[in-house]
Amino acid sequence: MEEGRGIVFKGNAEGLIIVIPQGYTPEEIMSETEAKVSAASRFFKGAKINVAYRGPKLSDEDEARLKAILDERSGAVIESFSRQEESDLPPKKAAPAAPSAGIRRFFTSDINEDSCKFIRSTVRGGTRVEYDGSIVVIGDVNPGGEIIASGNVIVLGTLRGMVHAGAAGNRDAFIYALSLKPTQIRIAEAIARRPDDSDDHVLTPEIATVKDGLIIVEPV
Amino acid sequence: MGEVIVITSGKGGVGKTTTTANIGAGLALLGKKVVLIDTDIGLRNLDVVMGLENRIVYDIVDVMEGACRLKQALIKDKRYEGLYLLPAAQTRDKNSITPPQMVKLCDELRREFDYILVDCPAGIEQGFKNAIAGADRAFVVTTPEVSAVRDADRIIGLLEANEIRSPKLLINRVRQDMVKRGDMMSIEDIIDILAIDLIGVVPDDENIIISTNRGEPAVTDNKSQAGQAYRNITKRVMGETVPLLDLNGSEGLLSKMKKLFGIKPA
Ligand SMILES: Nc1ncnc2c1ncn2[C@@H]1O[C@H](COP(=O)(O)OP(=O)(O)O)[C@@H](O)[C@H]1O
Ligand SMILES: [Mg+2]
Repeated sequence: MEEGRGIVFKGNAEGLIIVIPQGYTPEEIMSETEAKVSAASRFFKGAKINVAYRGPKLSDEDEARLKAILDERSGAVIESFSRQEESDLPPKKAAPAAPSAGIRRFFTSDINEDSCKFIRSTVRGGTRVEYDGSIVVIGDVNPGGEIIASGNVIVLGTLRGMVHAGAAGNRDAFIYALSLKPTQIRIAEAIARRPDDSDDHVLTPEIATVKDGLIIVEPV
Repeated sequence: MGEVIVITSGKGGVGKTTTTANIGAGLALLGKKVVLIDTDIGLRNLDVVMGLENRIVYDIVDVMEGACRLKQALIKDKRYEGLYLLPAAQTRDKNSITPPQMVKLCDELRREFDYILVDCPAGIEQGFKNAIAGADRAFVVTTPEVSAVRDADRIIGLLEANEIRSPKLLINRVRQDMVKRGDMMSIEDIIDILAIDLIGVVPDDENIIISTNRGEPAVTDNKSQAGQAYRNITKRVMGETVPLLDLNGSEGLLSKMKKLFGIKPA
């Protein structure tokens, strides 16, 4: 539930939603948003985003203050700012932006807090698991098995199949496996395949992340 | 009440029919009443491997369509007391029978026989669905080849999805010399990926080809290594604990056994 978690940033392909719990004073809203935005500024930097907030209606003056905080602290260009009504619609689509690099997608800064799907069996060939959140497999992922998650993917076993983490575009997602021997891994739009001469007998857990647009794998 | 065991693999040519014939004859030699069902409609060959081709009058489709009684279609193997074959139709296709019909057939045979072995066609379509419909247990046959192991993995997933729990693995055509050179997947490698228990390992053995051509299952041949492997597997089917055949022809057998049987599905 969103209550009790304080202010929550939700990101999707279209933009950012700020979820404000009931009972917050304007001062609390401003200070907490400022702290969160500052902490997450590296994700926002240089991008154009549409922002909406959910929760109690703010006065025009407070809305303006909130937008000013986002403008100053996020490092992003705030294309629009509005309150999202009862309906669950995402904020309106960003204006068609300049080619590729100009567009950045948005995510909750804190990928460490994410809903999670647990799979307590071997994911065999021919099986595809998709989830909006993170996926934990307690078992192996075999060749021909596919795991697609918008968040992180953790395999407490041997990963031999295909995993796509950050599948909605989140480059901060990671893939962790007790034994990482995948056919292919993908994080956001980066793809890495297994080197043809790879050593099959690595027994240390490894983690795959994206650095400078490339997937790198390191022992943990 | 008899037990229905389906012998399946996904990939063709890995030894399902050979395995069905050998386990069937092996069980009959040990005094069990056994019927083999060939569900590879359109590509039947269990009858050839059993040397019973020329005795076919009715087949499984005739039974399903009510053209004959079940008893009329069962071919008695005169060499082995208690062994029967229900042959596939050669001029029809896999859609000529349905899974509910197979369930009914298996239930009927269960009352008469100790073991009903179902030889499954390759693939994951209608023929596979028919073959597994009435099964209590499944043996998945693979060879030590990457593509066969991939298909076995897929099949195990489908068996589990169809509530046929804990299928057992049979690894066929192992060549220990190649494994030693690192040119063939080892038993351990295969079990590591498939994560199911082993029912047995059968070496690659030219006696299989000779016996297949003669229509006499190798399990009856005391000189054949594959025959010995199938005799051991037969005993395991009946619930006995028999050590794995030592394909190295030397020591180290016991430790390997423990390792292999110690592995539990993940
Ligand atoms: N252990 C073995 N050693 C040598 N040849 C084998 C062995 N097992 C099977 N074969 C041969 O492989 C071929 C395919 O076997 P078969 O049982 O018909 O496979 P499937 O029913 O899975 O298609 C046959 O020619 C058979 O003689
Ligand atoms: Mg066959």
